[in-house]
Amino acid sequence: MDAQPDVSLTSVSKNFYVGLFKKKTAVEDLTFSIAPGEVVGLVGPNGSGKSTTLKLILGFLRPSSGEILICGHEAQSRKARSFIGYLPENPRFQRFLTAKEILNYYGKLVGLSGVARKNRIAYLLELVGLDKASDERVRGFSKGMSQRLALAQALLSHPRLMIFDEPMSGLDPMGRVEIRRLLLQVHSEMKQSTIFFSTHLLSDAEQLCSSVMLLKKGRLTKWCPIGDLLGEDESHFEVTVQNLAPQHQQTYLNGIKTVAAPLGLSFEIEGVDLLIRKLSEIRKAGARVVHLASRRKTLEEALFEDELPGPKQAPLAAAGESQ
Amino acid sequence: MRELLFERVFYILFSFAGISLALSFLMGQLTYTEQAKLTLDFMLAGIQISMILFSVFMGISLFKHELTVGSVSMVLSKPISRVSFLLGKYFGQGAIQTLVILSMSLVTLAIASSQTADFSPLPIIQTVTLILLEILVLNAVTYFFAVNAGAITASVVTLCIFCIGHIKETLRQALGEHLERSLIWTFADGIIPDLEIFNTKALASYGITVRWVEIGWASLYALCFALFFLILASLCFNRKDILT
Repeated sequence: MDAQPDVSLTSVSKNFYVGLFKKKTAVEDLTFSIAPGEVVGLVGPNGSGKSTTLKLILGFLRPSSGEILICGHEAQSRKARSFIGYLPENPRFQRFLTAKEILNYYGKLVGLSGVARKNRIAYLLELVGLDKASDERVRGFSKGMSQRLALAQALLSHPRLMIFDEPMSGLDPMGRVEIRRLLLQVHSEMKQSTIFFSTHLLSDAEQLCSSVMLLKKGRLTKWCPIGDLLGEDESHFEVTVQNLAPQHQQTYLNGIKTVAAPLGLSFEIEGVDLLIRKLSEIRKAGARVVHLASRRKTLEEALFEDELPGPKQAPLAAAGESQ
Repeated sequence: MRELLFERVFYILFSFAGISLALSFLMGQLTYTEQAKLTLDFMLAGIQISMILFSVFMGISLFKHELTVGSVSMVLSKPISRVSFLLGKYFGQGAIQTLVILSMSLVTLAIASSQTADFSPLPIIQTVTLILLEILVLNAVTYFFAVNAGAITASVVTLCIFCIGHIKETLRQALGEHLERSLIWTFADGIIPDLEIFNTKALASYGITVRWVEIGWASLYALCFALFFLILASLCFNRKDILT
């Protein structure tokens, strides 16, 4: 059984020179490998090195040090690129061409011939919902349509490794739902394919990825399965109450962070037993529970819990409360 | 090639070429004597200048623009070599320019034949062939600088090489010994092509043909220099970081 990783980076660094002497390190000492079939999200703030990492993998940039292998081949080689399907952040096409012509052009570049290319193009246009617009020139396409066309060109060669740079960038909520659905569909149809994508939108990474990497200032600071980060245990609850007097708040919610919300006073509790006890206490104190939901930790909280400011403390006299 | 046909700059330059031909004809008619010779000379110069501008601006537009805008990333992510991408652009542009030169030459031939009783097309054909060879060399120069420098730098340097390439012999005669001792001149002399060997406009306007052997040597010279700059451009492009 071939256990070779699809992507393997070993001590990869990339420096850029600003002017003659000033060196800027974009990524430093990156080491990771991605096994076949994984969906890995690369997240991080602006300037953290996400795009640089993707471009190093694609062979657009030469690493200053270290080694990058794609399915066992040097990232700079043509053989490595034969395994890759790439969706750039802002795909640009020749505006005078139609969708079909563009896919035909890229189909030739990946080595598809004649009937195989024609069939593959027809299938992909239908998959991404552009079959009715296949003969329209790209200059008339919306951002969402261009993104879907770019996804189609990335899938032309049945790639083993799909690399997406901010696939949901610039899309409206409907567009994001559409692309997310497509990505999940593609992954389910091409089970052995690996997806590696960068995103600012942690909610997308949370929904799509099996594991996530966090880059900060060019360094890989976190890398683990989503389940480990978020925890499988769903005993994390959000509660909103009304009519809880300040003195009772100090008594029963001492040590628990509260937030003044539009509906009332909100707080979070971990553990079912603690929840039952607190609800019983505050109800005896005359408060009314208006909202109760179990909540899983978000990816944002899991990745940035040490850095995000804590919720504001509610004022003792909560506004709008009445007996 | 098709990409060029949808570029606005192409039509601007094509119009400029047409206008320069028309003006060349008119200027020839305004002269007191030797109207046919001067008309032909102006028209051939018009072809040459139009094609130089075409080389510089279309080369930059086709190649540099793709690198800047980022459309090159989807192409280079496919299993094709960067060299084939570069050469594809070069030969596509060369093919379009050949067609444009051909159409301008036909107009020139038509006008020249109507003005001269003992008209011979051969000198014009030879001159236009040499202009095409010169353009192919300049295209290679443009692509080399487009890979390594910004758009404006590439344009300016290519135009400078065009000018210096035509006045090398004049410079050598004017500056004599001083120049020959200069290392910079020795280096520049080696890498800047002598473009005057492609210039037979004056001969064509007098109906004088050039020996085919000389055209053969000029072709070889053009091939060597074009290859030299294309190889350098390819080596640089292979190692270049694509930041878009």
